[in-house]
Amino acid sequence: MTRKTQPHQITELLAEWREGNQSALDELYPLVYDELHRLARRYMSRERKGHTLQTTALINEAYVRLVDQKNVQWANRSHFFAISAQIMRRILIDHARRYGYAKRGGGAKQVSLEEVAAIVPEQGRELIRLDEALKSLAERDPRRSQVVELRYFGGLNNEEIAGVLNVSQNTVTRDWNMARAWLYQQLSENSAN
Amino acid sequence: MTPERWQQISRIFKSAISLDGEARDAYVANQCGADDSLRAEVDKLIASHKQADDENFIGGQAAEDAVGLLVEDDEFRTASLNKGQQLGSYLILDNIGAGGMGEVYLARDSRLDRTVALKVLPADIASDKRRMQRFRQEAKVASSLNQPNILTIFEFGEVNGLTFLATEFIDGETLRQHLRAKRIKLSEIINISIQVLAALDAAHEAHIVHRDIKPENVMIRRRDHVVKVLDFGLAKLAEKRTTMQAEESEAATAFKTTPGMVMGTINYMSPEQAQAGMVDERTDIWSTGVMIYEMIAGVVPFEGATTSHTIVQILEKDPAPLSKVAEAPPELDRIVMKAIAKDPDERYQTARDMLIDLRSLQKQLDLRAELDRTSSPNAAVVADRRVPQKRRTLFIVVAGMLLVTAGIFAVNIWRSRERRNALVSQPAAAPVATEERTLTYWITVQKYKDGKPFEPPFPVAGEINFESTYQVRVHVSSPQPGHLYIFNEGPPTESAATEFVVTFPSTTANNNSSVIEAGQVVQIPETSWLVFDKERGVETLWVVFSKDEILQLETARKFATPKTKNLIADVAQNRMVQDFLTANSVTKPSVDKGRSLTTLKAPGSLLVYAIRLEHH
Repeated sequence: MTRKTQPHQITELLAEWREGNQSALDELYPLVYDELHRLARRYMSRERKGHTLQTTALINEAYVRLVDQKNVQWANRSHFFAISAQIMRRILIDHARRYGYAKRGGGAKQVSLEEVAAIVPEQGRELIRLDEALKSLAERDPRRSQVVELRYFGGLNNEEIAGVLNVSQNTVTRDWNMARAWLYQQLSENSAN
Repeated sequence: MTPERWQQISRIFKSAISLDGEARDAYVANQCGADDSLRAEVDKLIASHKQADDENFIGGQAAEDAVGLLVEDDEFRTASLNKGQQLGSYLILDNIGAGGMGEVYLARDSRLDRTVALKVLPADIASDKRRMQRFRQEAKVASSLNQPNILTIFEFGEVNGLTFLATEFIDGETLRQHLRAKRIKLSEIINISIQVLAALDAAHEAHIVHRDIKPENVMIRRRDHVVKVLDFGLAKLAEKRTTMQAEESEAATAFKTTPGMVMGTINYMSPEQAQAGMVDERTDIWSTGVMIYEMIAGVVPFEGATTSHTIVQILEKDPAPLSKVAEAPPELDRIVMKAIAKDPDERYQTARDMLIDLRSLQKQLDLRAELDRTSSPNAAVVADRRVPQKRRTLFIVVAGMLLVTAGIFAVNIWRSRERRNALVSQPAAAPVATEERTLTYWITVQKYKDGKPFEPPFPVAGEINFESTYQVRVHVSSPQPGHLYIFNEGPPTESAATEFVVTFPSTTANNNSSVIEAGQVVQIPETSWLVFDKERGVETLWVVFSKDEILQLETARKFATPKTKNLIADVAQNRMVQDFLTANSVTKPSVDKGRSLTTLKAPGSLLVYAIRLEHH
C-alpha cells in the first residue's frame, strides 16, 4: 500500500536539477528523505547496539534503489549524494533547534531532562552556529561550503567529494582547509561576543 | 568583504599553510606587502587553521548522528528510557516505539500490577502548561466515555521532569502496519471504519474533536480485532509546535516541507485544517473518509510530491472515484465521497450519520453473502403458507413451560422466505437488509411465603421489580438456530474490571456447546432457581445470540469452569467480554413485550441484549 516511487521519476528529477531547475530539488527532497528514512530504520532495527551504520553505505543503497540503474550517469550519483548530505544536515539542525538550543529566539529554554537527555546542549548550540556560518560561507564561496556539507554532513571522503563536484582531490583538500579555518574563526568570534 | 578580497585571502592562505615557520611568515609578508589588514586577515585564518587542526574541529562525521536521528525523526523522540528503568511506580519493560507523538514504552504499574503503555511527551510540548491542561481535560473526557473503541487513559504523570501518560496497552498493530502487512478484505474495511466512527460518535457527543485521524492513530487488537482510536486531544496540543517549527526552520520553507513531521500526516488533513480555518467534528469525518479511501484504493486520494502540492490537491482536486481505482460497491463510494466533500456543509454532519450508512451497507453485504451461500438451485424449498396471525395466543399456550415453540419457527421461516424472494426478484431496487436475529424470553416466577413456595409458578414477559423472596428462572428460545451465550454480570466492584459468570453454555448446560437448535428452549439455571440476595439491586443477564460462533466468547468461557463456579477467572478475558458486550449492544434490538414473553429482534447476524432483573 505504500507509494512506490518510480526509478525513472527520480532519474528525471535529478537530470532536471542538474540542468538548473530548482523546483526539481523540491520534489526530490521528500522522495530521497523517505527512502533514507526507511533504510535507516531497517538497518537500525537489524544492527546491534554499538554498531554504527555507515552513512555512505546507506546513501549508496538508497541511490541504487531509487535511481534507474539502466540509465546511470555519474553526475546523477553525485547529485544524489549532494541531496543526501543536505538532508543529513537538515535533520541535525532541525533536531538541535527542536530542543531549544537555538541561539536566536532569545528565550530558548533549557529543558530539564536530567540524565536521560540524549543530546548535549553544547553540541546542539555549536551545530546551529556552524550551520549559520556555513550559510554565510555559501554566499561568498558556494563550492567550499559544499565541500564541508558533503564531508561533514554527508560522510563522503575526499575522493567521493571530488567526484561529486567534478574537481581534483587536491582542490577538495585545499577547499576543506580554507573553509574549516574560516568556519572555526567565525565560531570562535561569535562565541567570544 | 569583496569577492576579490576573498579570493586574494584564500589564495595566500592556500600556499601559506603548505609552508612552515619562517618560510610561511616570509611568504605571507611578501604577498601582503603594505596591506596590513590583508596581513591580519591571513594571519588570523592561519591561526584558526592550526587550532582547528589541534582540536579536530568538524573532524568527525555528523552524518552518523544524522542517521540515528533519521530513524527517530518522525517520532518526535524525546529522551529515551531504558529497559528496567523505574519511572515513578512504572517499570519500563520495553520500548514499543511508534506513537503519534513522543516515545511509547511497555511498562508495568507496580501499584496495580498491570501492564500499561507509557507515552512520554516531548519536553517542549509538556512545558506548555495551558495547552497541557486542555489536553489532559480532553483526553480524560474521551477516555471516561468508556467507549470500547477509544483507548483508555489510566493516568497522567510527571516524574523527574518527564511528562507521561499511562494508557491501556493494546497488543496489536496500527492500521498503518496492518495495511502494509496484507491485503485487506472489504468486510474488514467496513468493520474497521464502523468502529472508528463509533469512537468518533461518542467523542463528538462529548464535544471532542480528534483532529488527527490517520492509520497511525488507529490500532487493531490482535486477539479480537477490536479497533482502538488513540490520542484524542493530542493533535490540538501539537498544533502550536507545528507552526513554531515551520517558522523556525528556514530550510522548511525552502523545501516546502519539514521532513518527518508534516510528511505522512498531511494527507489526512481536511481543507479547513489546511487553510487554518475553523475545525469542528466534520474534520474528523473528512479524515476518516480519506482513511477509508486509502484502505480500499491502496493510495490516499490526495498526494503530491511535496506538502504544498498535497495541500493544493486537498483544496482543489476531485479524487478519482473509488469505482475507478478499486472494486468497491457503489454505495461505499458514495459514503466515502460524501465524507470527503470539500465543503464541510456537504459532508456527513455527524459521525453517527456516516456510521448508520456504513452499518446498513454492512448488513446489505452480509445479506448478499448469505444469499450467495444459500441460493443453491437444487435446494428444495417448501413454502409454509400458514399465516401467523395468532402468534401471541400460541405463545401463551406454551409459555408456561418448556414446549418447543414450533409456531414461531414456522412463522419465521415463512417470513424470511417471503422477504428473500422479494429481494431476489428485484435485487437492484433499494436493497433493504432483511437478515435479523430473533430471540424470545420469559421469566418464570415462583413466589415464596414464610420460606415456602406460594402459589404455582407463573410466567412474566420480562422485567418487573421482583420481591427478594421470589425465585426465578429465565427461559430463552429462538425460532432460528445459532450460537447462544449468556453471561451474568457481577455487581460493580471497586476494581475497574467487571466479572462475568458464564451462565450458558456450561458443562451441565447444553453439553458445554453454544449451539442451539431452532425452537430449543434454554432454561437458566438449568435445574434450580435463581435466588436474589437480600440487598436490593439489579441482576444483569447478558444474552448473546449469533448466527456464527463468536471466537472471543468461546475463548473467554474456557476460563470459566465448575471449579470457579463458572466465573471467568481472568481479568483480560473478563475485560474482553465486557468490551464485546459494550461494542455490540450499541444497536439495541427492538423489544416487543407480550403478556408473558418478550420478543427481541436485531438486524444483522448478531443480537446482544441485557435482561435486567431488578429486585427489592
